[in-house]
Amino acid sequence: MKLPLYLGIAALALSANMAQADGHLKFAPGEDARFHWDSYEALKSTDLSGETITVFGPWLGPDKELVESVIAYFEEATGADVKYSGSDSFETQIVIDTEAGAAPNVSIFPQPGLAADLAAKGHLTPLAAGTADWVRENYAAGQSWVDLGTYAGKDGKDELFGFFYKIDVKSLVWYSPENFEDAGYEIPTTMEDLKALSAQIVADGGTPWCIGLGSGGATGWVATDWVEDFMLRTQTPADYDAWVTNDLKFNDPKVIAAIEDYGSFARNDAWVDGGAGAVATTDFRDSPKGLFASPPKCYMHRQASFIPAFFPDGVEVGQDANFFYFPAYASKDLGKPVLGGGTLFAITKDSKGAHAFVDFLKSPIAHEIWMAQKGFLTPHKGVNVDAYGDDTLKGMGEILLGATTFRFDGSDLMPGAIGAGAFWTGMVDYSGGKDATEVGNAIQATWDSLK
Amino acid sequence: MEQVLVALFTMVVGVLGCILYFWGSNIILDLIYPASGKKAANNIRKSSAIRPWLFLGPAIVILSIYLVYPVINSLYLSFRGPAGNEFVGFKNYIWMATDEKFLESFWNNMMWLIIVPAASTIFGLVAAALTDRIRWGNIAKSLIFMPMAISFIGASIIWKFIYDYRGEGSEQIGLLNAVVVYFGGAPQAWITIPVWNSVFLMIILVWIQTGFAMVILSAALRGISEETIEASVLDGANPLQIFFKIKIPQIYGTIAVVWTTITILVLKVFDIVLAMTNGQWGSQVLANYMFDWMFRGHDFGRSAAIALVIMVLVLPVMVWNIRNARKEI
Repeated sequence: MKLPLYLGIAALALSANMAQADGHLKFAPGEDARFHWDSYEALKSTDLSGETITVFGPWLGPDKELVESVIAYFEEATGADVKYSGSDSFETQIVIDTEAGAAPNVSIFPQPGLAADLAAKGHLTPLAAGTADWVRENYAAGQSWVDLGTYAGKDGKDELFGFFYKIDVKSLVWYSPENFEDAGYEIPTTMEDLKALSAQIVADGGTPWCIGLGSGGATGWVATDWVEDFMLRTQTPADYDAWVTNDLKFNDPKVIAAIEDYGSFARNDAWVDGGAGAVATTDFRDSPKGLFASPPKCYMHRQASFIPAFFPDGVEVGQDANFFYFPAYASKDLGKPVLGGGTLFAITKDSKGAHAFVDFLKSPIAHEIWMAQKGFLTPHKGVNVDAYGDDTLKGMGEILLGATTFRFDGSDLMPGAIGAGAFWTGMVDYSGGKDATEVGNAIQATWDSLK
Repeated sequence: MEQVLVALFTMVVGVLGCILYFWGSNIILDLIYPASGKKAANNIRKSSAIRPWLFLGPAIVILSIYLVYPVINSLYLSFRGPAGNEFVGFKNYIWMATDEKFLESFWNNMMWLIIVPAASTIFGLVAAALTDRIRWGNIAKSLIFMPMAISFIGASIIWKFIYDYRGEGSEQIGLLNAVVVYFGGAPQAWITIPVWNSVFLMIILVWIQTGFAMVILSAALRGISEETIEASVLDGANPLQIFFKIKIPQIYGTIAVVWTTITILVLKVFDIVLAMTNGQWGSQVLANYMFDWMFRGHDFGRSAAIALVIMVLVLPVMVWNIRNARKEI
């Protein structure tokens, strides 16, 4: 009979989980001086014994272990019982759960757009008064984070619903320090220099860029990131915001110019590995491998902070691969804009514990525990950047802290039919040779049809 | 591992549950109306009137929940807004008529509709006719039939490696490009060439469906009475004449059934397009476009309207197919 066997294994798995959950904090409190243990001690004043807090998010596998390692400190200090569960179809599941009235206390949203939808339906609870001021004060480019987490509630009133925690930086150019050294190239600090360097590499007989848009059903998103980065580097943040809400039309000359700026890289046969024709079909996961070929197929690769996961085996980040900030135009006075993404925490079922948990995310220790491990960036100005697990993370963290403007990935903020539909299709068509104005018109037509 | 166990567990429970239901309900019926005793005749009449409903019951209930209800609900949703909570009249249909991508999907579907059933049936017929005659015909048949066992997604992955494209100069891992380069040609990004890319995707489905057509048609060919062939041989017909004038006319019905069955399948084509291009480069089809609006656009109304278009297209073919199949029997 399968049943007893199955039950036995389930029980075994359950007890194994529990053994992992209690005790064993990753870093013993008070020991490592890099951490703000005072903020951990302060947590102990909140007593939540007997309280259960359910947390639901998109993180699975290693990310799940990491978030649980952070949660463990909250549990240890307050006595609360936090149950985290992850799902790879979080976006669908959270809609079902909230509609059915079975929502978790705290939900972790990968896209602000979805959180805004739920807020409008009245499924989110506004964060405690004063949280907005705290974010403004303590996060780099604080106002940007407040704006991203502020939505209209069911009554139409704007309130802060989302608290950002765990950020990705997208404005990065990856390169191989060894290849740069061999060829004698300097890291460019302005967009003009970057273009000059690209031309220089071509003159020296090399290929400057590896670009790949392929991503299965999501093919095209890589190019949307490029265009967003160019929007931030050629237009004001206000224009960017207007573009994301379609107050600035997709076929506006400003947007067309940004698309064409991307085209000056991706549609330039001499500038991209494999020629412009290869851009749309090369998988984004394969594309950075050209950096490490011998001789190098390309010298630079623009991609977000997660890409080292797809580097070939044995490539050591910091040694064989490094990154620099995707620079801004010196001729345009727009500061140092940074494009990124991130996850936000929102309360989907009100309780004392839920508010206490969001409060916990304000404490430096909640950030430092994850920083000291891997894959975590924070704009929190109160944390000790020495806590970053390696220099690469630290470098990215510094880009984030040095940002004069932070803007969220625009395609994640646009309606799904655009940001995960028409915009992708448009960029694929443009990369394949279609006219930028035509592409802009087509995307705008879809957007018009949504209104 | 946990998922495998859960899946196994569900399967066992499901199968046991089904057996228990049919076996149990049968026994209970027999207990209520025993086929013995004074009223045996009456009981047997009653129980045999009830029994079919008992056995058909679950199927009818499940079909209504999973087929009839969704159709009615789709119809209802197609007149409503994105979240399904407001009446918008024919707005979704008007949008459809002017949407560039929808028209593209529609025409692509029409192209699929003509090419795939025709090619699969013709190749299937040729394969059936040829393999009937030769000694190793059965081996050839099983090879041609084998793709039928592969899921569409699996087949797409296989063909991805055939159409794969690498920039000129680097080593081609795609079979087609490797061949092209070997003969001195320039590699092409096959799945990005408008119109032709649809044809390349169709080849995948033809590859899968030829086996199906072959098996059915080969059975039909064997069913042709020997006398007609003998008579034509005696009358001096050559093999081609026998094939086209004697054999084919006798299996028209089967050809039509094969053709229409593949047609229905083609109207629903989805997996191949999703896995290969996701409708980019002008290769969109209706079913994938419907999926896009449902899960990317979060628009219940529009995707329901597209779903209904697919249904309206499938319906006549299906009705005709069922009628034809009945006549055959």
